[in-house]
Amino acid sequence: MTTAPARPPLVRSSDRVIAGVCAGLANHLGWPVRMVRIGMVVAALAGGAGVAFYAWLWIMVPTADESARRNARRPASPIAPAVSSPAAPGAAGVPGDPGTLGAPGTPTPGSWWSKVPGMPFGKEILLGAGLLLAAGILIARLLGVDVPLGTLIPVAAILGGAAIAWMQLDETRRAGLVDKTKADQAGGWARLAAGLALVVAGVLVMVSGSGSWEQTWLALLASVAVLGGVALVLLPWGLKFWRDLETERAGRVRATERAEIAAHLHDSVLQTLALIQRRAGNEHDVIRLARAQERELRGWLYRDADKESGQLSVGIKAAAAEVEDALGHAVEVVSVGDCVMTQRHEALVQAAREAMLNAARHGGGAVSVYLEVTDSAAEVFVKDRGPGFDPDSVPPDRLGVRESIVGRMNRHGGTAAISSSPDGTEVRLRLPATAAPAGTAAAAANNANGEAKP
Amino acid sequence: MIVDDHAIFRSGLKADLDPDIVVAGEAGTVEEAIAVIAAQRPDVVLLDVHLPGGRGGGGREVLAGSAPLLGATRFLALSVSDAAEDVVSVIRAGARGYVTKTISGAEISGAVRRVAGGDAVFSPRLAGFVLDAFGTAPADIADDELDKLSARELEVMRLIARGYSYKEVAKELFISIKTVETHVSAVLRKLQLSSRHELTRWAAERRLL
Repeated sequence: MTTAPARPPLVRSSDRVIAGVCAGLANHLGWPVRMVRIGMVVAALAGGAGVAFYAWLWIMVPTADESARRNARRPASPIAPAVSSPAAPGAAGVPGDPGTLGAPGTPTPGSWWSKVPGMPFGKEILLGAGLLLAAGILIARLLGVDVPLGTLIPVAAILGGAAIAWMQLDETRRAGLVDKTKADQAGGWARLAAGLALVVAGVLVMVSGSGSWEQTWLALLASVAVLGGVALVLLPWGLKFWRDLETERAGRVRATERAEIAAHLHDSVLQTLALIQRRAGNEHDVIRLARAQERELRGWLYRDADKESGQLSVGIKAAAAEVEDALGHAVEVVSVGDCVMTQRHEALVQAAREAMLNAARHGGGAVSVYLEVTDSAAEVFVKDRGPGFDPDSVPPDRLGVRESIVGRMNRHGGTAAISSSPDGTEVRLRLPATAAPAGTAAAAANNANGEAKP
Repeated sequence: MIVDDHAIFRSGLKADLDPDIVVAGEAGTVEEAIAVIAAQRPDVVLLDVHLPGGRGGGGREVLAGSAPLLGATRFLALSVSDAAEDVVSVIRAGARGYVTKTISGAEISGAVRRVAGGDAVFSPRLAGFVLDAFGTAPADIADDELDKLSARELEVMRLIARGYSYKEVAKELFISIKTVETHVSAVLRKLQLSSRHELTRWAAERRLL
């Protein structure tokens, strides 16, 4: 009615105190919200005209979401109406959303008002009846007729409370259809509670104002019975809405998961593929990139929820990954059993890393790493398929094998043995579960040296 | 015969195989695979673990669908997957071995020949899974032999997990390659038939059953 084309459309704002009417009106008229609200309250005190106006706007003006959806639907492709399921028609005779009742011709764009003739007139009739009633009461008061305000106000409170509660039901349905945040839902619950409280308070005022406590109790009982009946009627609806909400939520969870996977693939795989394309000329780089990406993707796909960082197998795998990245040489890790990493295991990992580095540097083919953790010891085997070497012929100034592998293992009570043949070299590292006494460690070291020279 | 849902991988694999291995047929889905296997009766089927079609069971469904042919036709599972559930489920469904798709042409030809000869093909990773499942303690008594690996079988598995080839295992343990193959086949049989409590639990933990 007051819609001017140049102004923003009159919609109920989401920035709401009760139903967003004032904020929407202020936005539409370009006035400050506070002023509109104060004006509305003043009008409400002036014989209830503000309340009637507010209620009328509440019923007639769509929310921003609804309006947006209607406007969005209008110019959509011919598939859109078939695909987008219409907003659930109001149950129990509540008039359906006019936007979903087919598409009669081409409505004037930008004007929600043009929709009104298409809808059933239930709301208008109700509204008219209410307005006539209010006007009648006002006129009767002006003419000096004694209107029992003491009865009317509680009745109005009851009706208002019920209306708020019913609007809440509508909100819940919308919440299922539109993606609402939890805060909104909390607000909805608050409104429902407010409605119920108003109803109960109205009943109590009416009853206690009219009679004795006995009657109050009876009325209270009756109201509880009514509430129970209403609950019984609304329960199936409530369940249905709840289920809709759950479905919606599950769908959202799936969508989130999908988005996470897409994001991960984008961050890792696509980036790597782009890199590979750019470095297509450099075989070494391409292999390294592909290998690192494969490892990363595998880790992500087959990650074991139970396996946390700090496990020995994780440490060994990390070392293998490091070697792979550094030398571009495939390192396959197979692990059996696992244990929590200690400082001694750290030494084992370091020694294994050194062995892997050597294997990748000097050996050929894939490097196999096998980790076995039993109750008594942790063992690591690093095998390559290179030409092999004679451990005795390693010059004394080369610290790699002597210090980093054998020496380190001995210092931590473990043993290291190296066997090499023309088919390949294998480094065997063994770390007992409990730290051996120094004497035993020394003996083990001697033993290891003996083994190292077959 | 090659069963894999990626045509590019199938043709690449065909080119990689030794020339004396004849590819009798190809299939890309579960239904196709079962039909072609029944029609062609190939000696060896290279079977991808993840296949479209069927009821979503992938390679396992092909094995179940070809169950009557399992005696004559041998299956070698082929996968990019490292997941224990993928690997062990196809083995338990009847596959004679498992190799990863990164395997070289020569290696896969050898594996195909080995499977055709009735032996089992164990990759280091599969050996690792076996050790994980059966535990690393040898069986003391032989009465429930299905439920535990013998000391020798354990040794063989360990060496395979360490990346040894069958030949190297034989050399290391001073036994013949034939004996190694016998041990490996025994382990495979145990893996397929064992109802061992631990194996069941292990499988259940990894949602294999």
